[in-house]
Amino acid sequence: MAINTVSLPDAAEGKVAKSVGVQIWYALLALIGVIGFAAWIYELDHGLAATGMRDVVSWGMYIFTFAFFIGLSAGGLIMASSAEVFGIKALKPLARLGVLSAASCVAVAALMIIPDLGQPTRILNLVRHPNWSSPLLWDVLIITVYFIFSVVDLSVLQVHAVEPTRLRRTMRLLAYIGLPTAVLLHSVTAWIFGLQISRTWWNTSLMAPLFVVSAILSGTALVTLLALAAERWGHFNLPNDTREWLRKFVAMALLIDLFFVACDYITIFWGNVPADRSALNLVLPGGPYSWLFWGEWLVGGLVPLAFLMVPRLRRVSGSLGIATFLVLIGVYAFRIELVIVGFVNPLTQFPPGNALGTYNATASSFQLVGKYTPSLVEYAITLGLCALFAAIFTTGYRRLHLADGKMIRDPLGSASLTRDEGPPTSDDNSVRDTTLATKP
Amino acid sequence: MTDEKTKYVPHHVMVVDTNRCVGCWTCAVGCKEINNEPLGFWWNRILTTAPNQSTTAAPPASENIDVPRGVFPDLELAYLPVACQHCNDAPCVKVCPVQATYRRDDGAVLIDYERCIGCRYCMAACPYGVRIFNWGDAEYAPGGIVGYGKNYYDDGRLVFTPERPKGVVEKCTFCVERIDVGEEPFCVEVCPIGARVFGDLNDADSEVSQLINEGGAVQLHPELGTDPNVYYVPVRKRVVRES
Ligand code: SF4
Ligand code: SF4
Ligand code: SF4
Repeated sequence: MAINTVSLPDAAEGKVAKSVGVQIWYALLALIGVIGFAAWIYELDHGLAATGMRDVVSWGMYIFTFAFFIGLSAGGLIMASSAEVFGIKALKPLARLGVLSAASCVAVAALMIIPDLGQPTRILNLVRHPNWSSPLLWDVLIITVYFIFSVVDLSVLQVHAVEPTRLRRTMRLLAYIGLPTAVLLHSVTAWIFGLQISRTWWNTSLMAPLFVVSAILSGTALVTLLALAAERWGHFNLPNDTREWLRKFVAMALLIDLFFVACDYITIFWGNVPADRSALNLVLPGGPYSWLFWGEWLVGGLVPLAFLMVPRLRRVSGSLGIATFLVLIGVYAFRIELVIVGFVNPLTQFPPGNALGTYNATASSFQLVGKYTPSLVEYAITLGLCALFAAIFTTGYRRLHLADGKMIRDPLGSASLTRDEGPPTSDDNSVRDTTLATKP
Repeated sequence: MTDEKTKYVPHHVMVVDTNRCVGCWTCAVGCKEINNEPLGFWWNRILTTAPNQSTTAAPPASENIDVPRGVFPDLELAYLPVACQHCNDAPCVKVCPVQATYRRDDGAVLIDYERCIGCRYCMAACPYGVRIFNWGDAEYAPGGIVGYGKNYYDDGRLVFTPERPKGVVEKCTFCVERIDVGEEPFCVEVCPIGARVFGDLNDADSEVSQLINEGGAVQLHPELGTDPNVYYVPVRKRVVRES
């Protein structure tokens, strides 16, 4: 197989170590997956009482993780398609990786909804009695379309990668369809929240653009991380100009994302409408949810921005990896902030608030300001689905031979080329390249 | 059921006179009784407020009920009983992906317990926070089923059942099983001060029509355009003018 054209460090004994490593990796994922599945069985038996959600905060970890994965997915496809649509050559080596990530993320996002349903066995009611005015129905529809699309797109890219002369036009066409579909996917998900007049924290027309930007941001960050991981463990070749492009792309998306969030804050701050302000006060420094603010602005905002843009920090080895990882944390914080603060902020400021829907002999059955702590069951199921994502991605990566030299026409040549001409930021990559070059 | 020709569809509305309400919670407890609501469930609850205060105003004096606003001796206290507002343009109906929540022609908004998939989108969408989810197996007060005690179907759809299935949403039904046979909702019947009135808004002579058209009864959050079928007569305060 053509794998050998790239995988120089794989001496015979290296290969054995490799497959053991892969097996341990799969075993770990399987373990997390099984724990998650067991947690789901437990939840089916006990109902959603097994979660930390109650009537005031009635959506929790499943929903914000769902929105997060949808974003990751949309971003992956947007990046992969832009390479084709806008002719960004540097992004082309990531096309298949991006679409694979998009497909796995959307599959996991769709599954994330199932444990959130009180009556999962009735899910076919969505087909039998669709209500077309519901953004949720549209979201289910676009998720389905998008999943099928990304699988088709991936197969076409695959055929094209193996035989570069074939399906060229189809590939281009799919990229042109993929870009708006991905934008739509995340817009519809944003409208689940943004269209609701009940919660001022959600009810802004900025929601869809904000979701799309954060999707591009987090999706690109994820693809970057995956590419770096693939480079570390899977013989993926990440050329230096691609790295540079990713760096700029993520920095730009991050700036736009923070700008949008700031616009929202300023609108609320200046307007000073009590219901809006009480929501914002929950998040701003001093409020009970200010850890989300810091997660979004500092950990996932200024710090990665510094790693991406300040020349001295840029040169730190692994700066791109650190920055993209932090960006993912920041975007996750944004999702939590969006969903949870929307619920926590009281609909009406009058005591006793809302009934909780569960009985506790020692506490009130009412709650005015919402409270939410995810239960272990929620953590287990969510982590299980993350493990599923990792398993799908790893399998896809190996099965589709994404590290296969055929994707980049002349892998060794371009690698040595970028090493010579690239900026001095090529950190650990150049180290690896050197080892590649010194091997016989 | 009446046949097509004689079928008259009333416009059911409820009016709560906040001048009369004393915050005794009888309607809330009555509602819990007639509907056999599980422990921790309150379809109807009495919010402590100050006269005619906006529901989204500044945080309250206390998170406990019955605590007046203001500084002694200038204290103010009023009550606002809130259950489902039976909105004519109901966000919950619009968002329900499977049409489990629907609006009847008379204005009552109902939930089909056999169709709800438990996505809780309606709870996120309702601006009045009146929906309650069956998180786990319902727990009931000891002593067995109380109240109406039977299944009730509206046009073949299960809109009331005394023992709740797990994983579905529920809320005030406008007491459909009672109003469909000409009785008043139970909260109206049990209110000891007659603060609650139920009737047909199509009938200009009905008490509800008068309270709304002449008595100045208003909806909660009219600015949201949900057009509720529950109205509140505001507290009338006498203002003594100097000149
Ligand atoms: S008050 Fe809430 S639950 Fe009742 S009809 Fe209006 S939106 Fe629906
Ligand atoms: S929880 Fe039930 S009633 Fe509410 S929106 Fe979902 S399916 Fe409809
Ligand atoms: S109308 Fe019936 S269900 Fe609704 S609050 Fe009154 S008693 Fe409860």
